[in-house]
Amino acid sequence: MIRLSLLCQCLLVALLLTCLGSLLHGSGIVWAMLHGNQTLPALQLQLLLQLRLPRLLVAICSGMLLSSAGAAIQARFRNPLAEPGLLGIYSGAALAAALALSLGAGILPVSLAGFAGSLLTLWLIRLLASPNGNGSRLILSGVAISALLGSLLTLLITTLPDGALRSITFWLMGSFANAEWPQAWLLLLASPLVWLGLFRHWRLLNALQLGEAAAFHLGFDIRRGAWLVVCLASIAAGVVVSSCGMIGFVGLLAPHLTRLLTGSDARRLLLAAPLLGAWLTVSADWLARSLLAPAELPVGVITSLLGAPFFLWLLRREQESPRA
Amino acid sequence: MLELEQVSLQRAGKRLLWQVSLQAVPGELCVILGPNGAGKSTLLQVMSGYLRPDSGRVRLGEQDTVGLSAARLASLRAVVEQQATVPSGWRVSELVAAGSYFAAPGQQTAAMAQALALTDTSKLAQRRLDSLSGGEAQRAHLARALCQLLASAQKERYLLLDEATAALDFAIADSQMAQWRQLAQDLHIGVVAVVHDLNLALRHADRVLLLQDGCSIAFGRTADIMQQARLEAIYGIRLAELISPDAGIRAFVPHTRR
Repeated sequence: MIRLSLLCQCLLVALLLTCLGSLLHGSGIVWAMLHGNQTLPALQLQLLLQLRLPRLLVAICSGMLLSSAGAAIQARFRNPLAEPGLLGIYSGAALAAALALSLGAGILPVSLAGFAGSLLTLWLIRLLASPNGNGSRLILSGVAISALLGSLLTLLITTLPDGALRSITFWLMGSFANAEWPQAWLLLLASPLVWLGLFRHWRLLNALQLGEAAAFHLGFDIRRGAWLVVCLASIAAGVVVSSCGMIGFVGLLAPHLTRLLTGSDARRLLLAAPLLGAWLTVSADWLARSLLAPAELPVGVITSLLGAPFFLWLLRREQESPRA
Repeated sequence: MLELEQVSLQRAGKRLLWQVSLQAVPGELCVILGPNGAGKSTLLQVMSGYLRPDSGRVRLGEQDTVGLSAARLASLRAVVEQQATVPSGWRVSELVAAGSYFAAPGQQTAAMAQALALTDTSKLAQRRLDSLSGGEAQRAHLARALCQLLASAQKERYLLLDEATAALDFAIADSQMAQWRQLAQDLHIGVVAVVHDLNLALRHADRVLLLQDGCSIAFGRTADIMQQARLEAIYGIRLAELISPDAGIRAFVPHTRR
């Protein structure tokens, strides 16, 4: 196990460097500086401030939100396969967003509709969940709702005209291309709130890893506490999915990777995972933008394309290594 | 005193407990015995406040457990679960620390150190739980529960153990039970344990509750309760009683099926 402060510092440096690279890549600023041009062209500055910067902020915040929500939800359900969208939050948001798109709404109303959809799904799950805080019933209800909303979404998509179809596909794949300042502000506001809410409950998250009964025996009100954790993680998922679509695998992969470095302790995990998650999304966005430039890939394709094989390799490695 | 008074519990139309009464006092080891499905673990969950009885009362010290918050309950009793699972990668020290999450900050380290010392796990503190043997892991869980009690400011505290010797070989199980009794006396806590092995109970328990089909058959001092005829009736089996006069040890072994 590496010392936590050292690990966090390394991750922070990696994140800052990647951010800088992603921000300046191809903008001509480095070139201009190297050649001693002190004044930046107004157009370049405009590009940085109006397009690159909000996009970068959205990428950072969504990485942080997804990975801390993933870490929390994995601890709550004692299930390494759990991720923030587990309870059908993504499908609910996608359905509402597609509905808004089919009605011809713009980017911001679609985002708002997506967020409302995720909250509605959460409320629906709350109605169906068992009153005594039983985790497996919650997961199963979530899976069923996810399937139901997913099929409704497919039904809706088949009726969409071509133009709307293209934008909904892009949205479903996840992309930071539409990120502007409104989304950036929303995420900047949401991520510290969600993170603080989760971090305050690190003891509960640790206790829940021992089981629901054990957490109760240790003195935690699991009915209230566990629901709060699920709520916060789902809100995080809802905020992210409604502002930049479905970004696969980050919420699953980042907590796993972090756990390899920090162990399962929720406090250490919640400190390091957001940094790693942000680094993953920023790097993925950079790749998505520059791999086939000037064309752009949906960032969700990159995260899943690189994330899935890496995750499989991780699973194999975990299985083979002797548990010592 | 930990007191159950005429406790009954039904789930899904099935009677799990029927008018069970019991008193456990600090300083003693009280053992709950009975065949599989008799309701032993259910009874322990009622004592811990995890299950609420349909009728009857459960008192921890002076307080009725109904209406007590989880945090308050945790300061009065600690539980070692039947199948205590641990997430991969946890260390013994992290597990034991979980017992002191609700303690005042100053008391945490002292309670942890004392719990580790009492259970002889100080040397294991930095080991990973998944690298421990069954007996060592059991001691680590015991340390976690003790840490919870030691960190509590309450005067009367109880330790509840649910089949905590089930996975141990008989030598370790025997020393574990001897240790529970010793801890009960040294720390003046009440220990209530669900145990399967008649002979371990015979040797170490101060009091025994015999349970069958959710009903209390007998409760009292071990020597008075553990009578051959009574045990034969509960388990539906003929028993032979073996006595080793020089060691002063009694034991029951299965004879033939009735």
